[in-house]
Amino acid sequence: MRDRVFARLISPLILVVAAGFFLLPQFAMLRFALQNIQVIDLRWSNMFEKWSLAPLWSAFSDDQFGRALTLSLKLAVGTGLISLLLLVPTIVWVHLRLPRVRSTVEFMTILPYVIPAIGMVAGIMVIKPHARWFLDSDLSLIPFYVVLALPFTFRSIDSGLKALDLRTLVEASRSLGFGWTRTILHVIVPNLRTAILSCMFLTVAVVLGEYTIADVLLKRTFPAFMGEYRGSDPKGGYGLAILSLVVTTLIFMIIGLVSRPRSARRRRVKGAT
Amino acid sequence: MALIFTDPPGEGGAAAKAAAPFTSPRSWSWLGLMPFLAFLVLFLIVPAVSVFSQALRGEDGAFGFASMGEAFSGQNLDAFWFSITFSAGAAAVGAVFGTLLAYVAVSVTRPRWLRNAVTAFSGVAANMGGLPLAFAFLSLLGRQGLGTKLLSGLGFDLYAGDFGLGEVTGLVTVYSYFNIPLMLLVILPAIDGLKPSWKEACSSLGGNGLTYWRRVGLPILAPSILGGFILLFANSFSAYATAAQLTDNSKIVPLRIGFFLGGDVSVGEDAVGYALAAWMIVIMAIAMIFYWALRRRAERWQS
Repeated sequence: MRDRVFARLISPLILVVAAGFFLLPQFAMLRFALQNIQVIDLRWSNMFEKWSLAPLWSAFSDDQFGRALTLSLKLAVGTGLISLLLLVPTIVWVHLRLPRVRSTVEFMTILPYVIPAIGMVAGIMVIKPHARWFLDSDLSLIPFYVVLALPFTFRSIDSGLKALDLRTLVEASRSLGFGWTRTILHVIVPNLRTAILSCMFLTVAVVLGEYTIADVLLKRTFPAFMGEYRGSDPKGGYGLAILSLVVTTLIFMIIGLVSRPRSARRRRVKGAT
Repeated sequence: MALIFTDPPGEGGAAAKAAAPFTSPRSWSWLGLMPFLAFLVLFLIVPAVSVFSQALRGEDGAFGFASMGEAFSGQNLDAFWFSITFSAGAAAVGAVFGTLLAYVAVSVTRPRWLRNAVTAFSGVAANMGGLPLAFAFLSLLGRQGLGTKLLSGLGFDLYAGDFGLGEVTGLVTVYSYFNIPLMLLVILPAIDGLKPSWKEACSSLGGNGLTYWRRVGLPILAPSILGGFILLFANSFSAYATAAQLTDNSKIVPLRIGFFLGGDVSVGEDAVGYALAAWMIVIMAIAMIFYWALRRRAERWQS
């Protein structure tokens, strides 16, 4: 009886309140960025007036915008490629030769959680005077972003490999005369397409969201530019935030669709029939 | 940015163990891990150790705990208390509402798509943080915010009391945006693990709904809820980007570390900044050890 009351009345109420909490801030940001009316002058009657994308265009035309976006894209591509180069061989190796250390390796990949970005950047500041030749370059952020993305990227590659019959694939490839490099490039990688794709997407999301290290090291990445630009043009800054949010959301949605476990997909099919 | 790792650890461990290693155990196969380990050491462990090496050095450059002590006293101690308070508050709110929402998502079966929609959205929201989140709440609950105006239209002055986006109340509200969905994702497998037969067994033994939750449901969920709480605490405690855009409140430890690193301090004082970072790493390590242990404990009922 109580269960029924919960299902009929309280659950919908909780869902509505939750939807409000999660959607209102987004709507407020959208309105602030794109509607050219101050909150103080806002009435129910002019709710739909003076919406425009102009603040976004003016942010795009700032001469720093292109440079910041290019840097972040370079960082994203670099971070994605190095993550793959590092992780695919390592995890293949762990699955084949060292299955017992798998959970130890997994534990190591969540270390960036123990040493959060602000702790990591404190360490970088200590090293900086001794490694200027490296750290003065903007692209020196790449290895640190690889580390920050590890908890995500490790999982995507690891679960991709779990779904394969790796031993059979490797034995077949090796007995047909392929060396390790060709086995990985021509046998494993094609079978890991989905996992590699989500790994790349995840690093894009991580790079687009990373602010701490860039801010402290004064690197002008896209998020850093966004924070700075807000100072001179709040509407434009908020518009850029919406844009990066849309991109990140799309990324997570695509990953959610692509990397849904096969068993879940099968269950859905079964449920539908 | 929040990190989600919701699937139980060692999953697939069974499968992995079943497959015997290719070669004899006394081989050189561990060498294959070297590139990965070297990378981690170079870009994560070396920075972390450097933080401690600076933190454990006195003004004269000799080894000592003076900076660590200073970082845990006076204004710095106030900052730690402030950060621990709001992080614990944010974790509590996130744990309670995340669990509630997860229970609703599981128990409401009617629109079939609802559960998938809720989990998909949570995956996005749990990873949201940084600037966009700060901007969204500034435009909703800032002094000139849309929500602030709506509330005042209803006769409620949000800023009458000590509300502020950089204060405990504000930070708990803003951080709930990623904490609640993160909790939902962490707790969902545990709630799924509650078997209907346990409820039936409880009621056939004469217990009502309350007895079930008090004697069966909550004790089984307890390790997962506590683990989630700790994860949320760590998540809130270490967040820098969101806080940095919301406020310049130097009582927030990550921001305080940032100010020290930014160089707005006198010579010799920068060791205190590193000591703050060192304490933070210590606190995060303790939290993560507890989380890891609780997660292992929670898996017992998930099959």
